[in-house]
Amino acid sequence: MQLNINDKTVTLDVDPDMPLLWFLRDVMNLTGTKFGCGVAACGACTVHINGQAVRSCVTPVGSVIGANIQTIESLGTPEKPHPLQVAWIAEQVPQCGYCQSGMLMAAADLLARKPKPTDADIDAAMTNICRCGTYQRVRAAIHRAAGEAL
Amino acid sequence: MNRRTMLLSTLGAAGALIVGWGAMPARSRIGKPQDMLVGEGDIALNGWISIAQDGTVGLAMHRSEMGQGVQNALTMLVAEELDTPMQQIVLHQAGFDSIYGNVALFMGALPFHPVVNEGEKPLVMKTGEWLVGKIARELGINATGGSASIADSWENLRYVAAMAKASLLMAAAKQWQLPIEELKVVEGKITHASGKSGHFGEFAKQAAGQKPTQIVLKQAKDWIVIGQETKRADIPPKTDGSAIFGLDVRLPKMVYATVIHAPMMGGKIAQFDEKQSIPGVLQLVALKSHAGSANGFAVVAQTTWAARRAADSVKVQWVAPATAGIDTTLILEQLQAKLKTDSGFAFYATGDVKKAQEGAQQIIEANYKAPYLAHATLEPMNCTVQVKDGQVDVWVPTQIPGLVRALAAKIANVPIDKVNVQVTYLGGGFGRRLELDFVAQAVQVAMAMNGQPVQLNWSREQDMANDFYRPMHAAVLKASINAQGSVDSLSVKSAGDAITPRWMARVSIPLAGPIDAPDKNASEGLFDLPYGFAHQQMAHVFTHMGVPVGYWRSVGHSHNAFFSESFIDELAHATKQDPLAFRESLLKDAPRYLAVLQLAAKKANWGSPLPNGHAQGIALHESFGSIVAEVVEASIENGQPRVHRVVCAIDCGIVVNPNTVEQQMQSAIHFGLTAALYGKIDIKDGVVQQNNFTNYQMVQMAQSPVVETWIMPSSRSPSGVGEPALPPLAPALSNALFSLTGKRLRELPLMV
Repeated sequence: MQLNINDKTVTLDVDPDMPLLWFLRDVMNLTGTKFGCGVAACGACTVHINGQAVRSCVTPVGSVIGANIQTIESLGTPEKPHPLQVAWIAEQVPQCGYCQSGMLMAAADLLARKPKPTDADIDAAMTNICRCGTYQRVRAAIHRAAGEAL
Repeated sequence: MNRRTMLLSTLGAAGALIVGWGAMPARSRIGKPQDMLVGEGDIALNGWISIAQDGTVGLAMHRSEMGQGVQNALTMLVAEELDTPMQQIVLHQAGFDSIYGNVALFMGALPFHPVVNEGEKPLVMKTGEWLVGKIARELGINATGGSASIADSWENLRYVAAMAKASLLMAAAKQWQLPIEELKVVEGKITHASGKSGHFGEFAKQAAGQKPTQIVLKQAKDWIVIGQETKRADIPPKTDGSAIFGLDVRLPKMVYATVIHAPMMGGKIAQFDEKQSIPGVLQLVALKSHAGSANGFAVVAQTTWAARRAADSVKVQWVAPATAGIDTTLILEQLQAKLKTDSGFAFYATGDVKKAQEGAQQIIEANYKAPYLAHATLEPMNCTVQVKDGQVDVWVPTQIPGLVRALAAKIANVPIDKVNVQVTYLGGGFGRRLELDFVAQAVQVAMAMNGQPVQLNWSREQDMANDFYRPMHAAVLKASINAQGSVDSLSVKSAGDAITPRWMARVSIPLAGPIDAPDKNASEGLFDLPYGFAHQQMAHVFTHMGVPVGYWRSVGHSHNAFFSESFIDELAHATKQDPLAFRESLLKDAPRYLAVLQLAAKKANWGSPLPNGHAQGIALHESFGSIVAEVVEASIENGQPRVHRVVCAIDCGIVVNPNTVEQQMQSAIHFGLTAALYGKIDIKDGVVQQNNFTNYQMVQMAQSPVVETWIMPSSRSPSGVGEPALPPLAPALSNALFSLTGKRLRELPLMV
């Protein structure tokens, strides 16, 4: 059984029931994806599976065999950051920063589907919890990134 | 006990210590080069600043970054006085000397009335500040909290940076054989008009031996960094997953531990076999209670998930406490009974309230209440520890690293210098990480692991059920209206648990005494109102209800502002006055408050027409030395309050970074909004009823208002920013809802 994580092939040798979140964090040491609630309520664990935003804390690793899994670590590169990452820095979005990986992954999925999202689109897609209250800047950064070519 | 006696008894917790010691000069916070932990080849110039061979500046970072942008702001202070670009300054975690303690935090705990003391400070206040300042410097407790970091470091960090610059210039003058007056620092390099230029590393060795005598700080007009919207260095790593929080620490051979606490408050393990065999479990550890931690056990496994899954199979018997199970409904009843029977401790009194109320034309009285609240930091409690060869290494997101170190040493039974503490980024603090319960657990588990490092982490459910909650409080507020139709007296009696004595005992601060000193936190936001009522009396009835209580962002202000500012609104309506005009009429002796109130009202176009179904509410509140006014525009959508816009004005003295001030206004307003709309912890028969974000709801994007921040220009020293925007939110919202519905809400969360 093989997984495709951030364009690398990984052999799965754990219980297929293990949530993808813990496989990423504790087996792969990809710690950018965060644990917040364990019940898909906060979105801190959001990753992309075949390009779609998914909450990895309730996704068994055995259910994503062969799928294309992308984490925050592969959203952009230092040379070519994702437009959202550029916008996030320009708008100085993060505070404590713990929810921000999930926010960015959810926003990247939104922009891929709707390159020019409205405020209502953002309200509907961005259901991640931020305890620091960065929502206003998250919204501004999404609009800013949407103004640039993806 | 009156206020003055209380103050002295608080300060004199170490009574005899004050005599004689009181005459000694205050402990310097400049520090010695050896206080600073420097890198290979670096040279420390004092306890804060070091120079690397390539001219890079090292700064001892003594405060935890939990989102508030403190590391950016503190770096700015050094960049300013050292004339060095921020990018040239590298942060090193500060050591454990008392110079890194937070003196301003303890000063903020003094129960002085901010308006009464706005001008020349009376002797009792000067004495109190002097004594507490001295005690705090001796204790040297490194804590990030009380919105006090900038206030605490404002003078000292600029001073040590200016001192470092002077030393470097002296060294360069000697080395180049040039008059020192002809040298200056430009962009982090020492330069001369001849074109000669050199980086700090070239002069560091000689600079270390210099003793500059005259240190002059820059004047405000010469600032080029302070007041600028500089970019936070912690933000890029928070956009690519590379920032390391406590849960992201990874060490060779590290294993994971999860904790199961007693399911009922005060419950204990009755029967538990550490040797029972559970597949996948590497170790079971029965946890002793330390630092206020609940009783429980830890399960160690190769991954967090394996540990959590195995925990379900562990056989354990719990025993409930002998006392009846804690019930928050009963606690509320008890608080209200206490308000009737107990006179409480008087935090403030002026004029003659009794007489005013006896001769009143009309009395207005109202009961207010606020529930227990969990912190719910998004990163649950965790701590990573390795105990090996008599050495204890701790990696932890904490607001109190020095106390972490002391407790780890005590539990592991090693000398304190055998404990190293590495502070990671904090995935939220809000006061929860001023506690040590999870540290105590992690050290105990690591001690059972034969040198193997272990990361102990809690599930969300354990985190929510084992918090140190914001205490439930209730208050009765009473005002009299005289024959002329104006409000001439205000009396407030509140009831609820004290936090500080419980906390000091838990974290082992040597000020914890055999009797509780009255905790100012309980009455802050009630006894210290700016309004000029002729007769005032504010008292608090201290209780001890058995629920673990702790500091929650803005502490007593978080509920007391709801009580006081809602009641002020009630008084405005009762006397048929506009809530803004009513407040203005009472602020004649508090010009700074008046200015902030009017700024918010003006920017919000107070009183001008709004969309159908929308209404405004206003509130004004001082906390942590800063004055904040907020105007909330709200409506009711689907039977729920909906906040559209919050206009926020703040006077926080001199602003170091306006961008982070704006961030903190947005942050505290959202934190306050979540509490105002949803926040409530219920306990039934000792069991916390809320267990995750599904039933302890948070504001999300769709409920998030637009926050507009306006900063009052000021030349006063900086005051708090992380918390002060929180208290006015709930009353401003509640006041707006009253305008919409005509129904006064006197209980949090707000139910329309």
